[in-house]
Amino acid sequence: MNGVRTTTGGILIAVEGIDADAILKAARTALESRARGGISRWDASGVFQDLAVAESEAGTPSPRTLLLLYAADLAFRLRWQIRPALLEGRTVVAAPYTETAMAFGRAAGLPVAWLTNLFRFAPHPGERRFIHAPRQRASEITDGFVGFSCDRMTGGNRYKRQRRRLIDSAAAELRRTDKSSAARRPAARRRT
Amino acid sequence: MPTSRAAFRRAARQHFTDTSKKRGLLVAFEGPDGSGKTTQRKLFKTWLVSEGYDVVTTKWNSSDLIKPIIKSRKSVRALSPEEFSLLHGADFRHRVEQTILPALWDGKLVIADRFLFTGLARDVARGLDLDWVLKLYQPLLWPDLVFYFAVSPVTSGRRVTATRTPNFYEAGQDVTDVDDPVESYQRFIARVIREYESLALIFNMITVDAEQSIGDQHRQIRELFLEGRERPWSAWNADAVAEWLALGGAPR
Repeated sequence: MNGVRTTTGGILIAVEGIDADAILKAARTALESRARGGISRWDASGVFQDLAVAESEAGTPSPRTLLLLYAADLAFRLRWQIRPALLEGRTVVAAPYTETAMAFGRAAGLPVAWLTNLFRFAPHPGERRFIHAPRQRASEITDGFVGFSCDRMTGGNRYKRQRRRLIDSAAAELRRTDKSSAARRPAARRRT
Repeated sequence: MPTSRAAFRRAARQHFTDTSKKRGLLVAFEGPDGSGKTTQRKLFKTWLVSEGYDVVTTKWNSSDLIKPIIKSRKSVRALSPEEFSLLHGADFRHRVEQTILPALWDGKLVIADRFLFTGLARDVARGLDLDWVLKLYQPLLWPDLVFYFAVSPVTSGRRVTATRTPNFYEAGQDVTDVDDPVESYQRFIARVIREYESLALIFNMITVDAEQSIGDQHRQIRELFLEGRERPWSAWNADAVAEWLALGGAPR
């Protein structure tokens, strides 16, 4: 599947952001005007829950490892939540989808070409919304993929400065993506 | 310590081409189930140790971090080909960073019982695109030597099913839609071997006729290793080592 809308009228909306609470709120808002719909959230497969309980001796996952796991979780969400709902003609809000993870990857210094290939299996959403965390709050975020990954990579509170730099950088990358995709959108559809 | 990616690449090149130090070597054993890789790997390791090598072994799907995640999902048959591929890619990446590169950096000899070619052959046999899968494994780390243990699908099937029934994913039942695991295995392994054979050609693996006696294979591997161990370090590996150094991989 590589489509935006299905013949049955289903639509996929991506809500991107590093603040898990804020994107969930935005996802609920996006569904308000739609009769039938659902939200597909990060870690529906429980991969990261399993990772969170792993012994520290198992080693610190790198950004690439975390992104491969994110992609595996997204493949699970597409198979069990997103595609079936679209086929039934429902609206699905993926919160987050691919851009949040890609922003984290760019912030961690990974090549864009690798990130683009990684998510090649994911269909383009019909609509994409970006929810930006206020700059002063970004580094306090612990929930969601970006917060979790920054914690795992930097040992949580042990390297506070490193963690803040990484999470701020991911937030900045997401702002840049929003800006460049807004520039590509037709003027009439741009948000004000 | 260097800070830019180019500086890390230079540091990698310098370290692995320094002739005053013992260079780490990576030897991969590849081939379908029932090809006798594990037997040969054990014999090879025993010989290497007797020759004075410091040997580290790494097996497919064995990282402490990711293996439990894969195992629990396999047990409930919950993996699609994409999830199967991505999780094994994550396991491989973690072992490269935590086991393989640290050992190579320390001048050890790493034997990989299956390497990324296992992922490629199985994932492509499951219908995934080779280009997509190969890129998941970037930055690529090329072994100094890859031994490919070639057997026919019939031999593989006979050896595997002689003592046990292949499990669901080993038999490829997630993609063959065949209820009988033995029959499914025969179909699936034929596809996997076809992919392996293409990969063996593309990536210049050393093919070992795994239908020969165990002793003959072992002698051949020793000879080929002695010929191949002086190969220069592959500059293609600079990116993989540089990324690991940038993550703080090498001991300071």
